[in-house]
Amino acid sequence: MKLLQYMLQRFVMYLLILFIGITITFFLPRLMPGDPISNYISQVQARAGQSLSAEATQQLRDSLAELYGLQGDLFTQYTNYIGRVVRFDFGPSFTYYPEPVSNILLDALPWTAGLLIMTTLLAWLIGNGIGLIAGYYNKRRAAAALEIVGILLYPIPYYILALVVILVFAYWLALFPLSPTFLPGPMSWSKSVSIIHNSFLPALTLVLAGFGWNVLAMKALAVATKEDPYVQFARLKGTTDRTRMTQYVFRNAMLPQITALILSLGFIFNGAIQTEVIFSYPGIGMTMRAAAGAGDYNLLYGSIILTIFAVATVTLVLDLIYPLFDPRIRLGG
Amino acid sequence: MLTNDRLIRVVILLAFVLSVIAGCAAPAASPAAPGEAAAPAAEAGAMTEVGTLRSETLIVQTFDGKTNAPDNMNPLMGGYAIWRGFRELAWGYLWEMDTATGQSYPELAAELPVVLNDEYTQFEIRLRPGVYWSDGVEFTADDVIFTLDTYFNNKDKLTYFGVPVITNYVLSYEKVDDYTLRVETVKPAYDFATTMGVYTWGSAFNIVPSHVFGKVEDLAAFKNEYPVTLGAYTLKSYDPNGQWHLWERREDWDRSATAPLGEPVAHYVFYKNFGDEQTRTLAFIKNEYDVDTFMSPDSIEAAKAQNPNVHTFAAALPYHDMNDACSYGILLNNQKAPLDKPEVRWALALSLDLPSVGINSMSGQFKASAFPMPDTQITRPAFFEPLQAWLNDFALADGYKPYNPGFGTDMVNKLTEMGMDASLLPTGDAVTGNFGLGWWKTDPAEAEKLMNSVGMTKGADGFYTLSDGSPWTLELVIPSDWNKVMQRVGFSIADSWTKAGFKVNARQVDNGEFNTVQDTNTLLQSMVNWSTSCVFNTNFVNNWRTFSADYLKPVDSSEPINGNRARIDNQFIFDKIAEAGAMDMSKPEFLTAGQEVVKEMLTNMYYINMMNIPTTIPTNESYWTNFPKQDNAYAVPYTWWSSFKKILTSIEPVGQ
Repeated sequence: MKLLQYMLQRFVMYLLILFIGITITFFLPRLMPGDPISNYISQVQARAGQSLSAEATQQLRDSLAELYGLQGDLFTQYTNYIGRVVRFDFGPSFTYYPEPVSNILLDALPWTAGLLIMTTLLAWLIGNGIGLIAGYYNKRRAAAALEIVGILLYPIPYYILALVVILVFAYWLALFPLSPTFLPGPMSWSKSVSIIHNSFLPALTLVLAGFGWNVLAMKALAVATKEDPYVQFARLKGTTDRTRMTQYVFRNAMLPQITALILSLGFIFNGAIQTEVIFSYPGIGMTMRAAAGAGDYNLLYGSIILTIFAVATVTLVLDLIYPLFDPRIRLGG
Repeated sequence: MLTNDRLIRVVILLAFVLSVIAGCAAPAASPAAPGEAAAPAAEAGAMTEVGTLRSETLIVQTFDGKTNAPDNMNPLMGGYAIWRGFRELAWGYLWEMDTATGQSYPELAAELPVVLNDEYTQFEIRLRPGVYWSDGVEFTADDVIFTLDTYFNNKDKLTYFGVPVITNYVLSYEKVDDYTLRVETVKPAYDFATTMGVYTWGSAFNIVPSHVFGKVEDLAAFKNEYPVTLGAYTLKSYDPNGQWHLWERREDWDRSATAPLGEPVAHYVFYKNFGDEQTRTLAFIKNEYDVDTFMSPDSIEAAKAQNPNVHTFAAALPYHDMNDACSYGILLNNQKAPLDKPEVRWALALSLDLPSVGINSMSGQFKASAFPMPDTQITRPAFFEPLQAWLNDFALADGYKPYNPGFGTDMVNKLTEMGMDASLLPTGDAVTGNFGLGWWKTDPAEAEKLMNSVGMTKGADGFYTLSDGSPWTLELVIPSDWNKVMQRVGFSIADSWTKAGFKVNARQVDNGEFNTVQDTNTLLQSMVNWSTSCVFNTNFVNNWRTFSADYLKPVDSSEPINGNRARIDNQFIFDKIAEAGAMDMSKPEFLTAGQEVVKEMLTNMYYINMMNIPTTIPTNESYWTNFPKQDNAYAVPYTWWSSFKKILTSIEPVGQ
């Protein structure tokens, strides 16, 4: 019963977070000093190298306000917006009218999700694996060496790390392209290989960037946990090193690491902008950056709502599955 | 127990797995449009990432970076992928623009428009027979009539800017025969060829194929993904993620709109976004592409130092082509106190140390222009040279003469003092050719006199106060890093003004906000800008037609303006622009009217123009050569202007 109440509370909180996030996303850009119609007209005038007459400007302004759904008072726009968002309809992109924002996001989403989920998991697995070994065998020289790798990688700013990776692997060794070229057409073996090849550098950078923290965190946890009485007891019972490391130390040390993993998965879109811009990688980050630059509100809403949805959902999932890992919550302890 | 050896083995295994992934460097398959054969594989020779022979492919950095609508090739909609070669490779216009001279020339038309009445409102358009769409259908007057019908019948649905331009410009039209039609305009239209054709590079009138668009029910939703083209190329393939487009030369290029220019040399033209400036520079050094767009001077220097095949437009300062249609200047809100006083505006101009701004932000690679327009090979004889005598004599109300005709020589001296190699500096006539005919003196003492004359004196902190003694901070809006050159120029201006006693808040804004600031009275005090000065040829009215009372709003209004961005409120200028709009542009009176407007703008210092936009277009000549250069200026070097059509027929393969 307590478990059910706990889950219900979390779900209500989830819906509330989404509602508040979506509402803020609607009002915030409108408080910002940017007008999508003015932006559009300025851009087209600049493109044309011409100025429009007063009548033509007004005509275009009225027509765009209607097409963009910007007519009517703020409340009407807001209620229409809430209704649309529920159906994953963010309206048309202002910059690329009439392209629906949902189409642009659906095109970009698999790239961001594919790259960042995979690299977050890899960084977690490799980092925690090495951290566990380094922590469990913390008195050995090899363990110290592994820790040094983590210490060296962790503080390097992502941007610098990315540039170093580009310089080494794409410029000097020329193993990978400096900027990706993804081929169109249906998925095939050669296309899959091409995607892996073109995505390898951003992936490597993300793994290296995330890996250091995981090494250091897991090593600290493993060092502390292996001295706990239940581990000592297991040793006295004659269990092997491997059993104690994996079954006793890792299982107990992983709880905070699982929290960190799930939170990082929720926040992947936040890291997407930097990675995608540096590596010219297609995805939500590049889309969000372009939308912010061009004052494309609808596209910006869509991207941000997607991020809010991802973070809120991951937090909910974390809350719901945590009892599986931690019996104290399950049992109300 | 995991021993050290086993650990090492694990690490080796990991390295092996990574190497296997790295080894997935299979050559890219040749992409092709649906139903098309892939590009033929070559026996030998380097291939591009999209499967074409590198020696047959001209590779160009995209102007717009990445696009979110790469599949939209419908030129009736505002968001179509125009920057990806559509204009230069795929389309044709009634009249194109020779960017070297500023003169229109017939492209789809057989000749320039024939004027049928003295009022200049009736025109006959004669089309060139023998032009075919890429699917083999002949281009005729039916296509022109269909497009005009489409503009008028769908003006509420189509978002292309040209739709309101044309529907407010054209009164009626009729087909005479397959190659002739007549058009009547609402007002006298001395700019008929540039409004119905191309002005700087864009055209309001994008003619569409009637046999394709006529079958489409919803024109706004129509993508026109693989367009039937009029130009010499067709779209072969593109990246659905918006990073690249590949164009292939038409086999029947000699029946295309651009056929009179000759055969385009490159079999393929590949537009690609090579990423952020750092990766772009590295790719350029490694010969991955041939023409860049707006690379910063520092990166160009780095690339030139690493690769002898990287070239700038000129071998000596200012290195780059300075004939852009627009210029960088400081947009002032002339309605907003204290900027509504000419004394304050002049004080700002005389406090601006332009040589330092240009050296700090552009390493001296700029061409100054005192007029509210760029000083180019086209505008110089029309406006700058005829007004030099007037400028030399021009004096402010207190008798002070602000013009410095020796600006170029001062620049040379300053750069020499800084230790620049004399062989890189211009001499003789090249001094004014490269650094401009002159600019305003840097004279903070005269600026202080002007400020004091309107009651604005320096306070205890050394900064000017308002006339009532209260502190004054001038907000200067500048682009954030989406335009790094302008950003640097902006910070240098702020520095220069601060040294002269103006308290400046340099505020960086994103692209979207930048446009809004320039268009909204309440947001604008001053900003680094280019939109007021876009005078490409003698037709100054084209850009300045918004100098009109129609575009003025109350100073506290937040209504958008979209024109007259300097908020000029001057009846003399309004009258001159209105008069000029109804004049024959080929007559001397038209130019005289433009010169009068320039004089009035300078006398009041409505807009502090600084320098031509330094369009940095480095080329890498490892695969292609004979790009336009200062000593071979057959066209301006831009890949996103009409000039690219000429460049494509003029470049020469190196033979690699």
